[in-house]
Amino acid sequence: MEKQRKVMIAILTMLVLIAVIAVIDVSLRIDKTAGPEIKLKMPQFGPGIAIVRVDGPIEMTGPSGFSGVPKGAESVIKRLDELGKNSDIRGIVLRINSPGGTVAATQEIYEKLWKLRKKNIILTASMGDVAASGGYYIASACNHIVANYGTVTGSIGVIAYSPNLKKLFDKLGIGMNVIKSGKYKDILASHRDLAPEERKLLQEMIDSSYDKFIKDIARGRNMNESEIIPVADGRIMNGETALRHGLIDQTGTFEDAILKAKELAGLKEDAPVYDEILSPFDSVLGILGNYFSGGSLSFDKLLRPGKAVEYRYQQ
Amino acid sequence: MIMDKIKSLVWADYFIYALADPRELYRLISSRKPVGIYVSFAVPAIVVIADILALSLLGEATGFFFYKITYGWILILIYTIVKIAVYASLIDTVSQFMGYEGRAGEVIAMVSYSMFPKVFILPLVYFFSIINFAPGFFYVFFIFLLFVWYVMILVQGISEMHSIEFSRALALYIIPGLLAGFAFFFMFVLIVISGAGMLFG
Repeated sequence: MEKQRKVMIAILTMLVLIAVIAVIDVSLRIDKTAGPEIKLKMPQFGPGIAIVRVDGPIEMTGPSGFSGVPKGAESVIKRLDELGKNSDIRGIVLRINSPGGTVAATQEIYEKLWKLRKKNIILTASMGDVAASGGYYIASACNHIVANYGTVTGSIGVIAYSPNLKKLFDKLGIGMNVIKSGKYKDILASHRDLAPEERKLLQEMIDSSYDKFIKDIARGRNMNESEIIPVADGRIMNGETALRHGLIDQTGTFEDAILKAKELAGLKEDAPVYDEILSPFDSVLGILGNYFSGGSLSFDKLLRPGKAVEYRYQQ
Repeated sequence: MIMDKIKSLVWADYFIYALADPRELYRLISSRKPVGIYVSFAVPAIVVIADILALSLLGEATGFFFYKITYGWILILIYTIVKIAVYASLIDTVSQFMGYEGRAGEVIAMVSYSMFPKVFILPLVYFFSIINFAPGFFYVFFIFLLFVWYVMILVQGISEMHSIEFSRALALYIIPGLLAGFAFFFMFVLIVISGAGMLFG
């Protein structure tokens, strides 16, 4: 019986060995065939580059989704703060895929980036599909901007809008009861026309935000405001045109941006790249959240003035 | 105490008898209750890993493998244990209907140990994967052979449990499958009829 037991232990040991070899085999095959996004990630140590992603509209606190993981400007600032305290982080690649967003959220990210730049952390912006308006604003805080040839960028300007449903309300016989403490309390209300003095008030606010936008771009890009103003009329442009106007430094891919960040930070080409780690549960729940939240337009949304003044590219 | 038992290698007896003598396996489970039942849960855990690895060797290697082997393993293990418990309960229920004594715990352990030969799917498929000789075909082929082996172990165990002949034990194994199949078919028909009624009614 003892001999049989030993044979069984040997068989089980062989099975464990085969399982371990199979795991290594499959892992190596993944490493050989997969793209860089899903390559087997080995533990990385030492000085390197971190990646920070800004996806979607920039708002102070984005939707947290099913998983409860907060998104939005606050989470970007939190990550930037953590990276700023990490002595191994010599540079940051800001991957931007955003049409912009609210003025305050955009300015908060810009200022945080500017502080990191002052601490001699090399910042490189890499633009994805869209990095327009507020998306470009935050990119301008970086030492170096890389955009794809076809990236939609520019759209330098400020916008405020609200639908005017007065005629529709009149037609339907709907009236709104408004009790307010001051005459401008319901500015941008959709049930009535915008009064000339209200328009003037909003225009002043927009002009002020626009001036700040131009000043910050000039500061970040080391340019004169007079060089930016001619193209800061809200126009969008692709990467190549943006390069011609000096709004970006080079056309290239995300990988080029990482290499450039390493070069500017004085690191070797094989220096570690620390990407954001999202747990598989967060990934799956995030996908589900996006699927179920959809892009529905409710009447309630239509009536609300929204974020009022934004650095946002309107498609 | 536990370490002494592990070192004595007596636990290996369950696996030896699962492969070599299913009737002796049942006698061992029955005499060493409840240890035999607890140890039996190690079998689905091993079998699920072997199956995930075998399928991963056949398919395209992607980063999803790491999720399959970690979270996927936990999910499939839970599913397998539930499946074992449900099927064993059905076998036990049918046994009691036919006038035999109810021994649900022992049936669960027997079903679990019967799965043990399925661990060999990994080395078998790995071999054909390395020599690149129709590994997909041999996966299906060996899965079928190992299923037959699984049924043989389980039926002999049930036969020993109730001291009945092999054919009656085989009936006890097949009837729950037929009942479950009939229930699912009936549910499918009802869903189709209800769906058609909703769409065209």
